[in-house]
Amino acid sequence: MLRKKMLRDIKQNLSQFITIFLMLFIGVMAYSGIESYMDGMQQSADSYYEKNNLQDLNVMGANFTEEDLDTIKSIEHVKDAERKLSLTATDAKNNDITYLLNFIESNNISKFYVFEGEKFDVNKSGVWLDSFYAKEKNVKVDDTIKIKYDNFVLEEKVVGLVNIPDHVYDVKDASELYPSHDTFGIVYLSINEFPESYIKENAMKQMGIDNEELFDKYVKDFDYKEHLVFNYVMVDVDKKKNNDSVKNAIEDQVENAKAIIKIEDSSSYSTYQGEIDEGKAYVGIFSGLFIIIALLSVVTTMTRVVKKQRMQIGTLKALGFKNRKILLHYISYGFYISLIASMCGLLAGRFLMGNFFINLEMTFFEMPNGVAILNGQNYICALLVIVLVSIVTMLTCYKELKENPAETLRVKMPKVKKNSLNLTTKGIFKNLSFSSKWNLRDIVRNKARTLTGLVGIVGCCMLIVCAFGMLNSLNRFIEMQFDELFNFDYKLTLKENITKEELKEIESVYGNASSKSLGIEIKNKGTRESNNAFITDAKDYVRFEDDKNNYIKLDNDEGIYVTYKLAETNNYKIGDTIKWHIYGDSKYYESKIVGFNKDPQNQNITLTRKYAEKLGIDYIPDSIYTNKNLKNVKSIKNVELIQNINNLKDGMANMLNTMKSMIVLIIFIACFLGVVIIYNIGILSYSEKQYQFSTIKVLGFKDKQIKKIYIKQNLWISIVAILIGCPLGYYLTDWLFKMALDETYDFSAYIKPLTYVYASVGTFVLSYIVSKILAKKIKNIDMVSSLKGNE
Amino acid sequence: MNVRKNSYFMKEVNMEELIKFKNVKKTYNVGEKKFNALDGVDFSIGKGEFVVILGPSGAGKSTLLNLLGGMDKVTSGEIVVEENVISDFNDTQLTDYRAENVGFIFQFYNILPTLTVYENVSIVKDIVKKPKNAKTILKEVGLEKHMNKFPNQLSGGEQQRVSIARAIAKDPLLLLCDEPTGALDSKTGVEVLKLLKKQCDANNGENTVVIVTHNALIAEVADRVIRLKNGKVESNEKNKHPKNIDEVKW
Repeated sequence: MLRKKMLRDIKQNLSQFITIFLMLFIGVMAYSGIESYMDGMQQSADSYYEKNNLQDLNVMGANFTEEDLDTIKSIEHVKDAERKLSLTATDAKNNDITYLLNFIESNNISKFYVFEGEKFDVNKSGVWLDSFYAKEKNVKVDDTIKIKYDNFVLEEKVVGLVNIPDHVYDVKDASELYPSHDTFGIVYLSINEFPESYIKENAMKQMGIDNEELFDKYVKDFDYKEHLVFNYVMVDVDKKKNNDSVKNAIEDQVENAKAIIKIEDSSSYSTYQGEIDEGKAYVGIFSGLFIIIALLSVVTTMTRVVKKQRMQIGTLKALGFKNRKILLHYISYGFYISLIASMCGLLAGRFLMGNFFINLEMTFFEMPNGVAILNGQNYICALLVIVLVSIVTMLTCYKELKENPAETLRVKMPKVKKNSLNLTTKGIFKNLSFSSKWNLRDIVRNKARTLTGLVGIVGCCMLIVCAFGMLNSLNRFIEMQFDELFNFDYKLTLKENITKEELKEIESVYGNASSKSLGIEIKNKGTRESNNAFITDAKDYVRFEDDKNNYIKLDNDEGIYVTYKLAETNNYKIGDTIKWHIYGDSKYYESKIVGFNKDPQNQNITLTRKYAEKLGIDYIPDSIYTNKNLKNVKSIKNVELIQNINNLKDGMANMLNTMKSMIVLIIFIACFLGVVIIYNIGILSYSEKQYQFSTIKVLGFKDKQIKKIYIKQNLWISIVAILIGCPLGYYLTDWLFKMALDETYDFSAYIKPLTYVYASVGTFVLSYIVSKILAKKIKNIDMVSSLKGNE
Repeated sequence: MNVRKNSYFMKEVNMEELIKFKNVKKTYNVGEKKFNALDGVDFSIGKGEFVVILGPSGAGKSTLLNLLGGMDKVTSGEIVVEENVISDFNDTQLTDYRAENVGFIFQFYNILPTLTVYENVSIVKDIVKKPKNAKTILKEVGLEKHMNKFPNQLSGGEQQRVSIARAIAKDPLLLLCDEPTGALDSKTGVEVLKLLKKQCDANNGENTVVIVTHNALIAEVADRVIRLKNGKVESNEKNKHPKNIDEVKW
């Protein structure tokens, strides 16, 4: 019987219970949706890395010999090691397409996941191409691609479309955030495919012979295989805990090893992992917001239901129902609603949201078999929500239920605590209009309802600020990086080992604004950290800013400049001395910090060319910056890569587009939250004040006046919520932005004033419209029955 | 003489009969059945009268009061107040009528819990152009010491006095009271009745008070007693010798 009563009560307070249901549903859905795709990503990665034997260490150097490989293999805890030659090449037909070209001897480490075609075989010719690029360019097995490296063109048949475990994420250029699969592909070939003629030509160059016949005559037993170059060794270590000892052993024993990077520090691994951590950080905020609102809604709704049913409760008690039974009856309202909402949330989270997000992620990351999964944590969350809602329901009802039957059956005057309202009878409040006083006191009296409204509308405003703020921030990031700091149209990445004569030739045509980047290791209080040194002779083509976005000239040739974030992390001050060395060179430099510069994307040290030369570093640049129009230039001699700044910017456009759909989604959620909450508190406030409205209607107040009084409260709450929501929106955006970018970025949220205007006006208008719609109810107040109802 | 600024009561009135009910019917639908709360009610009330409408539960007393107060509409028939057929009024006209001419006093007071005593009375400033001074009225009803209190800090009798003060602050032509002493003890009830009588006698005796009650004792102090039964007027008599409130044995 009591269950029937519960169903009918819920029907009578349908909008409030729908609100509770929706908030719980969205909260659990957000949690299980984000968790299930994060867990799915993690599990897919774990099994992929395990099955396909992802390396533990990447050893980099100019060339690793067979002996080097044997030495590495013989180190304790090393299970296996493989050499690789990794080069950057372009498509012979389209210079805008870059290939990361890899030649390998075997494929037991970082084993391919073959989508189509054949397994790797060192004796097989042809290329194994990354499946994302192939899909984007519609390349199929048996198609032919032409790869240009230096002046050599390799024409190869595609024998397999693959995913490669250490190339889950790869970008063409470090300044790109998101991979552009249509202009960047990863290609693997057998080392046997490396063009013999290229090695021969280089050998001839080294020997100063320019006639092939002459070379053949003198070097009769030339075996090109002996001259193959390998600049990478992938190392598989038996256990993770031994990575450090193996790393140290390689450093000690292999002279050619210039840098050793743990797989966790590689961009592919860390970006993917970062994405998972990012989601884990988001999950609390989004689901938490909705669950808190749901709990507040439970408090307000159940208080109202129980108060309204005072007489019924008294009657049940008088009939002999035990308190425990009545309490359980009321707890069941919260219990059943949260049970259904949690179950629906779990399923919708896994199958709608989880699938949507994992599919989205899998368009960025080359990870096979990415599926959302529901693990135990999701069920625990759902269970916790049910327990929490039931406890809150119990606490809300308990107070009302503990009175004895006679007390319960007696009419109770609405409680007004003199103390809490005292303030509103004095000072500035004294002269307020009747409607303002009334609303003010009503807010004080109904704290839970006000708080529910406040949290909901703050959430709405905050989400709108955040949605537009993300767009503003990314645009500002692009503007700073590509319009302020980069002041060139084209960046020419020079070939390695370029001679001074070849450089001069290029500089005579494209100018001498140049830079050089070096991998370095900084010694800091006993620890050694990998970093980069940027040596600039870029004139005004690469600019620098201080932390207030003012341009600064790096003109001190007596020391190094450090980025603000790097300085902050390591507690560096101007005048401090840093000890560092270039990878592959054991000579340590001691440099004084002469200034700071702000870099949104890289945290490194910067030297002027003059200072670098003072230190004895041979300055041969690796990049030239120019404003010449190179639109129709396909290739330049001795230049490995020609990058147009607009192409770099375009890379960001992908991210902006993805973000735009996210923004629409966030704004939709914000409006939904706003409408549901404003409607809910509006309905609650209306039904609580209905008899008071009847009274003043009887007194002769016009509907218009009553509507004004009614709307006023919602608008007040909205204004306060906007005042809180706007700054919180900034902090949320800043936080989300920092979570989305890894620690090498130094960028705070940048929100345009117009965004605050959108959020404030949007929230206010939303609140006004919903309140206006609700206020229509005033017209239909039946004075007779509502006054009778009150009696 | 009451001169109302409200457009419906612009003309100066000088007549004996203030209220006329002509064959008034009010039918409610109760489930599938129809229920006649008022079944052809005819009566008149003169200006300045202290009227008691008596009847058992379900006789139609409250319905009659609601119709007279402009809170509800008749099913058929006519109600005339000061030559205005208020039963033909639309919602806006009824709101103006209630604002300018009617003061209501309820059994359960219906005062606003979040306003102080003073504020509950001065609220009429928002609806009436020339309300009476709230402080003066509160003094009249003996609540000057409680002006800054909230309703839940007052006794039932005090709350009813706030309700009376609020009603008379509008200086209404008609004071309509629905069981005003129903929730009070007899001593407090007498005080409340005295206040109502005082209001009736004020303004050169031109204020009209209509009390709906099932307490027959109150009829002894009334100028006119209308008895209702089953939605019909059983009797409508002028009390030739109304008693003083203090003479009645409560």
